[in-house]
Amino acid sequence: MLPLAHLGHWLWVFYVLPVLFVIGGIVWSSVGQRRRD
Amino acid sequence: MSWLPLAHALSARQDLPVPAWLFAWGASIVLIVSFFALAAGWRRPRFEQARWRPLAAGLSRAAVSLPVQALCGLAGVFLLGVAVYAALRGTEAPDRNFALTFLFVTVWLGFPFFSAIFGDLFRPFNPWRAVGRATGAAFAAVAGQRPRHLAYPERLGRYPAAAGLVAFVWLEVVYGTSGGVAVGLDPQSAGIAALIYSGYTLAMMALFGVEKWCERGETFSVYFGMFSQLGFLAVRDGRLGVRRPLAAAGSWATVPGSLAVVVASISTTSFDGASEGAFKGGIEWVFDRFADVGFGLDTAARLSDTVFMALCLLGVAGVYLLGVRGMHTVHGAPAFAKLRDGFAHTLIPIALAYLVAHYFSLFVFQEQAQFTYLLSDPLGTGSTDLFGTAGSGIDFTVLSANAIWYVQVGALVAGHVLGLTLAHDRALSYWPDFRDATRSQYWMLAVMVAFTCFGLYLLSVSNA
Repeated sequence: MLPLAHLGHWLWVFYVLPVLFVIGGIVWSSVGQRRRD
Repeated sequence: MSWLPLAHALSARQDLPVPAWLFAWGASIVLIVSFFALAAGWRRPRFEQARWRPLAAGLSRAAVSLPVQALCGLAGVFLLGVAVYAALRGTEAPDRNFALTFLFVTVWLGFPFFSAIFGDLFRPFNPWRAVGRATGAAFAAVAGQRPRHLAYPERLGRYPAAAGLVAFVWLEVVYGTSGGVAVGLDPQSAGIAALIYSGYTLAMMALFGVEKWCERGETFSVYFGMFSQLGFLAVRDGRLGVRRPLAAAGSWATVPGSLAVVVASISTTSFDGASEGAFKGGIEWVFDRFADVGFGLDTAARLSDTVFMALCLLGVAGVYLLGVRGMHTVHGAPAFAKLRDGFAHTLIPIALAYLVAHYFSLFVFQEQAQFTYLLSDPLGTGSTDLFGTAGSGIDFTVLSANAIWYVQVGALVAGHVLGLTLAHDRALSYWPDFRDATRSQYWMLAVMVAFTCFGLYLLSVSNA
């Protein structure tokens, strides 16, 4: 049985994921830029 | 707007085709695609000049002549007087008293919505400006010279207006709380607050001058004027003209304290939406702690709400400043303070988006009341029916729950895309190399995605 009753408490994670994705892209791009420089 | 629960919780629940959080992902993808589209196709700044052009002289005279200004000012003074009278002498029921809907819905939401399109609509109707100008003219007629004023301390900038904005929302959303049950601000408190604010504003106008105080410290002038920077109509040297939409925002935000105004706008709107939803558990926990310590229920409720409102202010400011800090790491970046102030105007479309998303349904519902039973029976006593509409009600079926959600998502996406565009445009004027400018905007993209997802999260919890 999945603990779906408490899933609502964790829905905010789905809203944070896009932000983390963009920040991850920034970090990846910055590291790549430093290597090129 | 806690005294109108039906404005947010409709009789019919949402029936969305996908979970609400997927809309946040979709909105984020739109922002990311917009970012790359701007990087590819927008290579020189277009919003640094407002490009104001005068309209036909006849049209300008009809719109901004002295008799029209006097009439608008008179209307503003009359309506303020009606609101204060209704607040002090009318019913205590907030939903039946003309004052609360007029002040907190019609004026507080109507002017931002329409000023963002048409320009500074509040200025001619500003009752305090009208009284101040009339008093100044009378003084000049009697004394033979204009009244003299103190020099306004420019370092103070718009901070008084920002403080007034926070105080206004605090009064409505926090002070109005009673015994843990959100019944909202009572009309009499609103009336007294309006009188105190009027006295304070007229005193400041006497000290610093009417126009200077309206530009810097008068809360409503500054707040509504902020949104009017997005609009396409503007008056210059007494002449009505058109300008490039959005372009005036960049020069508006150069005054100290402008960032505080726009941050206050976003954070107070967020708090109002979150206090009954996303933050409810946290607020109740803090409320219990204050109550345990010995504070009365009302005081504990107000203190806990105040704590979370302050956290909202710090949070919104913090996210923006993190973005600025990120931009500052890019090669060729100007000083941090220049970046911080230079990109403040990019938050104005976001502030408008938050306002539309959180309140447009309330506006649609309450304006029905404003122009029917509240107009006919402003005191709410049931004894008057000035226009024969005292028996009318609000039709909540004009907007479905799904329609509200789609408008909310659309508003947030549109506002953040506009914010991203303004930021990209400003970056092109700060960085000589467009590649560095684009790289700097990765951080503003992160800020925009964060605000979009945060806004949709608050709305999804409120609507649930």
